Amino acid sequence: MSISVLDALRPAKKPALLTLVLVIGLFVGAWVHGKYLSDRSPVQPIDFSHTIHTTDNEIPCQHCHIYADTTPVAGVPSVSKCIGCHKSLPDVREGPEILKLAAYWENREPIPWIKVHDVPDFVHFTHKRHIKAGLECQECHGSVETMDRVTRVVTIRMSWCVDCHTEKEVENGRDCWTCHK
Amino acid sequence: MSKISRRDLLQYIGAGGVGAVGGVLYGESVQRNVELLIPQVVPPDDYSPGVASWYNTVCNQCSAGCGISVRIREGKAKKIEGNPVHPVSQGRTCARGQAGLNALYNPDRIRTPLQNAGQRGSGSFEEISWGDALATVGSRLGRLKIENNASRVRLLTGRVRGRLDELFAQFMGLLGSDHYQQYDFTYPSALMAANKTSYGTDVLPYYDIKNATFVLSFGADYLGTWISPVHHSLAYGHLRHGQEGRRGKTVQIEPRMSLTGASADEWIPARPGTEGLLALGIAHALVSDGRYQGSDRDEWSTALAAFSPARVSAETEVSDDKISQLAREFGASAASLAIAGGAAAAGTNAVASVVAVNALNHIAGNLGKPGGVIFNSEQAFSSAAASRPAGHQGVLDLTEAMEAGDVEVLLVHDANPVYALPENVRFQQALQNVPLIVALSSFPDETTEMADLILPTNTYLESWGDDVPDPGVGFPVASISQPVVAPLYDTLSAGDIVLSLARQIGGELPIRMRWGTMEEFIRDRWREEYNKRESAGEAQEFEAFWQASLEAGVWGQPGADSGGNSVPSTSSTIASIANPVSMFAGGESDYPLVLHPYLTATFLDGRGANLPWLQELPDPMTSVVYGSWAELNPATAAEMGIKDGDVLEISSPTGTVRVPALTFPAIRPDVVAMPIGQGHKGYGRYAGDRGANPIHVVANQIDTQSGELAWAATRVKIKRTGEKLQIIKTDGVTRTLGRQILAPKNDHG
Repeated sequence: MSISVLDALRPAKKPALLTLVLVIGLFVGAWVHGKYLSDRSPVQPIDFSHTIHTTDNEIPCQHCHIYADTTPVAGVPSVSKCIGCHKSLPDVREGPEILKLAAYWENREPIPWIKVHDVPDFVHFTHKRHIKAGLECQECHGSVETMDRVTRVVTIRMSWCVDCHTEKEVENGRDCWTCHK
Repeated sequence: MSKISRRDLLQYIGAGGVGAVGGVLYGESVQRNVELLIPQVVPPDDYSPGVASWYNTVCNQCSAGCGISVRIREGKAKKIEGNPVHPVSQGRTCARGQAGLNALYNPDRIRTPLQNAGQRGSGSFEEISWGDALATVGSRLGRLKIENNASRVRLLTGRVRGRLDELFAQFMGLLGSDHYQQYDFTYPSALMAANKTSYGTDVLPYYDIKNATFVLSFGADYLGTWISPVHHSLAYGHLRHGQEGRRGKTVQIEPRMSLTGASADEWIPARPGTEGLLALGIAHALVSDGRYQGSDRDEWSTALAAFSPARVSAETEVSDDKISQLAREFGASAASLAIAGGAAAAGTNAVASVVAVNALNHIAGNLGKPGGVIFNSEQAFSSAAASRPAGHQGVLDLTEAMEAGDVEVLLVHDANPVYALPENVRFQQALQNVPLIVALSSFPDETTEMADLILPTNTYLESWGDDVPDPGVGFPVASISQPVVAPLYDTLSAGDIVLSLARQIGGELPIRMRWGTMEEFIRDRWREEYNKRESAGEAQEFEAFWQASLEAGVWGQPGADSGGNSVPSTSSTIASIANPVSMFAGGESDYPLVLHPYLTATFLDGRGANLPWLQELPDPMTSVVYGSWAELNPATAAEMGIKDGDVLEISSPTGTVRVPALTFPAIRPDVVAMPIGQGHKGYGRYAGDRGANPIHVVANQIDTQSGELAWAATRVKIKRTGEKLQIIKTDGVTRTLGRQILAPKNDHG
């Protein structure tokens, strides 16, 4: 006579299955959040499309992000820069998003854009050196020129930085003090 | 597997749903806080985010006129350092200069125009607009001008130099009032008056400590508070070890050891008020030893006959051996220099004492040569600025006029006489007779609190101006003060307020004072100076000159002879040699101790007390932080049964303060010393209700020659109150606990 443990476990089968479903649910929920609700792709105060600006109208990145090659930060364009072009574009003047822009300009208020790419304060990151080293914007930011809403495609972690520094044989690229001053 | 029942299916769906919601919530919980990217609406021309630039301007924390560089990032001031190319500060600053950021970002700053909304002095104010505020003042002044009563308008400012002073003077002149006074407690009035007597000059000479080999200082705390401390500290460094194989010697004569005294080779605590007499004793010894070979040798002998070291020794309590030794060293040094300041120049004999010190410099042949007294010619950018006195005389006159009801409008700019005058001058009470008091100030203080109308001013880091350092540095120098940041609040610079008032009043004022802004005025004046110097002054060239001066923060002509080596005649010095012994308020039997109030390197005359960095900076001699204290010699304290922290009642013939006692070995037993600067009642949160103000109990004693306040001529008595107060200090004990680290030689028990 064989003794099956299954029989002994039978009363626990249903709670175990329920727990399994719950755990699967957790993963699904976390994935859905990451895909659609996370800070990887936040909804911005103005529905700005990089596709229209960069691909359709062929505006180079640094036309608007003017500080990228000279300072640590790339710089979001000032409100005056946006309105500077848009006031001479009658075709789109009445678009709902352009009206939002006009309202910010009228009130002399800055647009509270939400940060997509953020490096912690203890990292001494500078755009200037990366641009000077000949990196394309897309290498870190992804194909922003095809994004209607900017989405972070990389995970900004130290391993990611160091991998790239190693691969490109950056001088002192693995030295702590290069990034942590 | 068996068929799932409907009940089970619902349970599984439920579990999955709860899990999914949990997953979303988890994702939400590990999400970083939303950070915003705030763009500029309109970026300034020179804006680069994350990149600092340094802008040069002039420090205004005291009257030395140091050039400073301010580090600016994204339009915000981050750090102040000395301007390396400025000849006064040479890349250095003092603690007060560093704390300029505390002034800029001070949370107590006045942010909008205010008008009194209650009893005068109650401190309750309501906001009004600039338009209303300027119209109120403008119309009142305009009416007085039309009624030919403009002389009932008075302007009292702190020590203001350069073009702002010129603007104030012009404004008051056009208005028809010649009552424009300055008041600065730290103004070296005795030095000015004595130099006028001895050398006939209104500008301070350059005391060349740097190249001296022997500096004999009568009370001048030149490393902490005297005239130009940053410059003197650099000079002191050079004196000590700037030249191979030569180490200059310094001797400090003062009743309580200051930072300068502690840095000196010898500290001589002569009896307070007899420092000038000691100088004459040394002069006598020099002349009788045949050190002086001038043609007027006999006249000097006669003038100094009464001051033999034996007699001087008895009065000064400095041994005649010491006097002879000082005379020998002073006479034999390659480059000796005697200077006077502090309490030694604040007795009823102040001018006579400084004249005595001037005599010493003459006899030793120190005038007009390196390491001695080098005379500055007229200021580089000639204006009356440097010569406008900022002593007590003007403010005492003002008090009288207010008491007599002769003042209808009082404009106060950047001065706090309610705090920095003895209480028995009764300045605050006299203010009650003035119908309209208008304060131009960045901060609420005891004087601003009495105002009916407050016009908030920019700090110096937000203002245009210029400055000609006084004392000069031996060649023509002037600096531009530029706003390094945009005004933080709805404030205006004092110059712009004056120009706006001129437009409000109308008539000839806006025609003669045609500048739209202070910046325009400064540029206009600098263009005039430029044209005066460069005969072919074309606009293009001036722009380049202006831009270069602005960037460098200073303009100068090193090497250009300022005519400084001409030595003035000293016959008037001989004539004004008098017996310089200070008279004290209060009899010796009732008031056994001499009160020695001293300026501190942090608060100066109290103006630094609202800056938190300065509050938390320990006093260099006692290491005390925050609060006030009274220093007593341990012997005196032991005799009276006083221990550290015992709260004392210190009474002069005119008032009383309460402060904790602190025993301090480097002070004469018959002296009680108190730092000036604390004891504010209305100077913002950092200065509030902390310590006591010794100036308030100083008797209204007057220097017999200049009529200036003698703030070091008051006797006091002390009494224990029985209370105790913990004195906060960073030192442990001052004793060596038998370790024989130091073997102090104390002549005074």
